[in-house]
Amino acid sequence: MALHLNLLHEEILQQRQRQRDPLKIGVMVLIALGGVLFVYYMFNAYRTLEIKTKLSAVEREWAKVEPQVTAAQKRSAELTEIIKTTRVLDDYIENRFFWAPFLQKVSRCVAPNTQLTSVEGKVLDDNKGVTVSIEGVAAGREPRAAAEDLRQMLVEQLAQSYREVKIEFKGLEDLDTIVNVGGSNMAMAHYTLTVTFNPGAPTKPTAAQATERTPRR
Amino acid sequence: MSAVNFKKEQIKKISLSAMGFVFLLYVYFSFFLGPLNRSRNAMTAAMNDKQTKLNSSKDEMSKATTLEHQAKSATTRFAALKALNSEGAPIAWFPPRIKVFFANEQIDKAVARLENSTAFKEAELAGWMKYNWLIDIPQADYSVLGKAIADLENAEPLLSITKVTIRAQTEPGQFQAVDLVATNFIQRK
Repeated sequence: MALHLNLLHEEILQQRQRQRDPLKIGVMVLIALGGVLFVYYMFNAYRTLEIKTKLSAVEREWAKVEPQVTAAQKRSAELTEIIKTTRVLDDYIENRFFWAPFLQKVSRCVAPNTQLTSVEGKVLDDNKGVTVSIEGVAAGREPRAAAEDLRQMLVEQLAQSYREVKIEFKGLEDLDTIVNVGGSNMAMAHYTLTVTFNPGAPTKPTAAQATERTPRR
Repeated sequence: MSAVNFKKEQIKKISLSAMGFVFLLYVYFSFFLGPLNRSRNAMTAAMNDKQTKLNSSKDEMSKATTLEHQAKSATTRFAALKALNSEGAPIAWFPPRIKVFFANEQIDKAVARLENSTAFKEAELAGWMKYNWLIDIPQADYSVLGKAIADLENAEPLLSITKVTIRAQTEPGQFQAVDLVATNFIQRK
């Protein structure tokens, strides 16, 4: 085996020491890490640019569509409001109380021996009902009976069209005045009737009610 | 063991390298990657938001088109109801209209006076006002009056008579004096 003499021992040692210099190794590690981080940063930057491009495209598209959408939203709101308002107005129109049919029914009930001197009617708030005060005079051998006939006739007529019809005498007084009806002198009575009813259509009697009303043989 | 036994100078250099490493990471995350990520997240959120708006906009527009078809009868009806009232202040056109209406029904001297006007509580009728009118008819025949009231109720769907007072006149006997209180819905101008 040949003998090797290392005459550069010190130089080699110094070189090895230089190579194992922690600062140098650290700098190299830092440079390597920096490189990796730079690549990762570039990757992220590329993704960001890609998203930016997509965002610009979406924004351009939105800018085109936005006026149409705003107009559509505005129109939708307007139409919804119109529909709601029309519905409320239609409800109001349909739920109005019509006085003409009522006046017609009252006129049908007035017999030749009765006279109305005053009719005062009022629709209660929120269509809760109608109250009418009817004042007049009735003539006949039994003027009070004539007034009662009028009341019953009114009940009968109004119940055909309205619900919860209630007609009561607020006042009924004999008068001293004698009146000539159809050539014969008759006594007179002054009456005041209070009429209350609900304008809704009357409910049809149920089968049970109808049976109850059937006259017994 | 010899690898662990660093010299003082070497320890300094290792510390320096470690500090450099920490500084590099700090700078990288604080001034480079952090802002980039924040910007990207913000753009992603903005894009998602716009994309959602774009998607919903298509629904919105189709809904508006559908609603337009569905609301055709309502819009026609609404336009017809609006057309019932004339332009301008109601006090200017309503009393003459009532006077002419009753004159055409053979009832003269009908006078309409504004009692009051109120706004509606209902949100749907925010654009409408309720006008209460007092209609004074000094002389009318009962049957003629009944027909006139029927015609009025049919001709003016937005008008409802809330109070009727009919009093028999002593002279001439066949006529009555009539007071009507009518409520009319009129759109705000």
